[in-house]
Amino acid sequence: MTGLALPIAQLDESFFRDRSESDCIRDDGAFCLQWVIDNFGDRYVTPTLEHIVLVVVSVVLGFAIAFGMALLSHRRSWLVPPFIGATGVLYTIPSVAFFFLLLPITGRGTDTAIIALTAYNLQIIYRNIVAGLANVPPDSKDAGRGMGMTEQQLLWKVELPLAVPEIVAGLRIATVSTVAIATLAVFAGGGGLGQEIIAGSAITFKTGIVVAGSLAILMAITFDVLLLLAQRRLGRWQAVRPVDSPGRGARFGERFRRRPAWTGR
Amino acid sequence: MGPDARAVVRSRSVAAETSQPGGAEALAVSYREVTKVYPGAESPAVDSLTLEVSAGEICVLVGPSGCGKTTAMRMANRMVEITSGDILVGDRSVRERAPAELRREIGYVIQQIGLFPHRTIGENIATVPRMLGWERERIATRVDELVALIGLDPELRGRYPSQLSGGQQQRVGVARALAANPGVMLMDEPFGAVDPINRERLQNEFLRLQAEVRKTILFVTHDIDEAIKMGDRIAVLREGGRLAQYATPAELLMAPGDGFVEDFVGADRALKRLSLMRVGDIDLWQAPLAFVGQSSAEVLTKLDGAEVPHALLVDSERRPRGWLSERDLKHEVVPPVADSSPDPVLDVSDVLRDALSDVLQAESRYAPVVDGDGRIAGVLSVEIVSEFLTSDDALTDEHAAAERPLAS
Repeated sequence: MTGLALPIAQLDESFFRDRSESDCIRDDGAFCLQWVIDNFGDRYVTPTLEHIVLVVVSVVLGFAIAFGMALLSHRRSWLVPPFIGATGVLYTIPSVAFFFLLLPITGRGTDTAIIALTAYNLQIIYRNIVAGLANVPPDSKDAGRGMGMTEQQLLWKVELPLAVPEIVAGLRIATVSTVAIATLAVFAGGGGLGQEIIAGSAITFKTGIVVAGSLAILMAITFDVLLLLAQRRLGRWQAVRPVDSPGRGARFGERFRRRPAWTGR
Repeated sequence: MGPDARAVVRSRSVAAETSQPGGAEALAVSYREVTKVYPGAESPAVDSLTLEVSAGEICVLVGPSGCGKTTAMRMANRMVEITSGDILVGDRSVRERAPAELRREIGYVIQQIGLFPHRTIGENIATVPRMLGWERERIATRVDELVALIGLDPELRGRYPSQLSGGQQQRVGVARALAANPGVMLMDEPFGAVDPINRERLQNEFLRLQAEVRKTILFVTHDIDEAIKMGDRIAVLREGGRLAQYATPAELLMAPGDGFVEDFVGADRALKRLSLMRVGDIDLWQAPLAFVGQSSAEVLTKLDGAEVPHALLVDSERRPRGWLSERDLKHEVVPPVADSSPDPVLDVSDVLRDALSDVLQAESRYAPVVDGDGRIAGVLSVEIVSEFLTSDDALTDEHAAAERPLAS
């Protein structure tokens, strides 16, 4: 329980700052807008920024490690099962336990949180890179080799570009789940929006939890949309219309209705 | 490359690349007792295959599935490693060359085409020139040339493969293989995934293309009709990768080497031979000609002992107008309109098999044959064809595939 006690100890009077003297706070209203307006700048900006750093750093690190593993196992398929197994074990460790287990080794702080969050990402990202590479059409690979591409050229010019949509799909799942899991980073002293959720859990006044939770959801959606746009852009060859379908004037919605089955989505 | 071939090449854009230094002349390919045994396999996939393919010729490897024809082809660019024996491309052994470098000098077309879905048509075609480090300008010019050569709308250069029809994709596949002007092309069932109507069209287009570019081509198919149509020479392989016969299409049809080849070629091989020839390739009969206003008596004299026992009415330009009946010739002079129409009128450039079919379908025994200007050149009859098939003349037919008739 020491972990839980700590953030509550950080509570200060400002939590109850109430410039408007409204009834909402006295009655423990589910959501007091005026309180949010009064407290947002002091209470939520820093944790939100911390949260973004936790998510971005751990997803980038997770991607870098998983990508390295995928390159290693690409032409050595016997490495795939052990890699999946190892990342899978990391993935199954309960997150709160993971933070506490790391504390004696890496101490309290952002680093510890990032290590755990990165470890969680590996499984999802690695699996998606491997699946993306495995789904590259064999005839494209055969044609590439037959035209004299080296294995390196084939990987960087054909296989990875064709795997991009699936790789980004993996990053989307990893990012969204990291936004959620990072709310627990507070137990490792990693800061983030979890601080405010824990703070709110100690008292009957719930507006703080609603605000922190909403910020996390909003952040997850924002990251997801950004990555979706990246996915569209990098995989624009997937969403093209056959030449004989309506021309450039076709409306946006038309594109989806008319997309032929063989574009693979 | 013979003088005729040069004359054809000159006419189109490919000439630009061919005449440049580095633009490769077609190279001869020679298989010397090539054997492939896959690891763990008891018997070889290709067994001591020896073949000489002359520069600028299409050599078709044909046989039932599992006969090793694709393996045999893929050893030429080392997509499959040779177990023993050797393959010479030009006069260099493929075994002493770096695979990637060798492959860039050999065009490669596969049944599934294998265009890169994430690259535009232009980028796909530019694949090998880019790897060879050509300048941007030169690549752009070459892509334009090839797009024109395969008859693709230049606007499609910026599209992605999934936006093209199967036939268009196959043409792009061929253009991509031709991009760096290789001396040799490998084509593995290149038209196998296309519907029959488009296949026919692609085959014809490809033969016209080959008449211009004159590459040495190793062409794999399981379809004997395609082999006969496309091949200058055909290598029939049997199970276990052994060569059953290596011959020109005409030889193969006239004199199948053994029972296996005979079965594989099919019972209709006599008819198949006819599709290798044009009407003008055989000795036609002559019918007595009659002009309007000529005296009928004169015509009747000519009818005596003529090869064709009917007089053909022609106009002053010697264009056939109809067959004159006995009643027509009872007039003092030849009437302006004949009793029966001359149809079917054949052209010397018609495929013999199609021509015969026309004659049979019209239930006539004779059909006038005209030259390019529509003037009478002779008469085809069912008898001529059957006589021809029983004679040895067919063996002497040595047309290159690219010059042969294209059955409609």
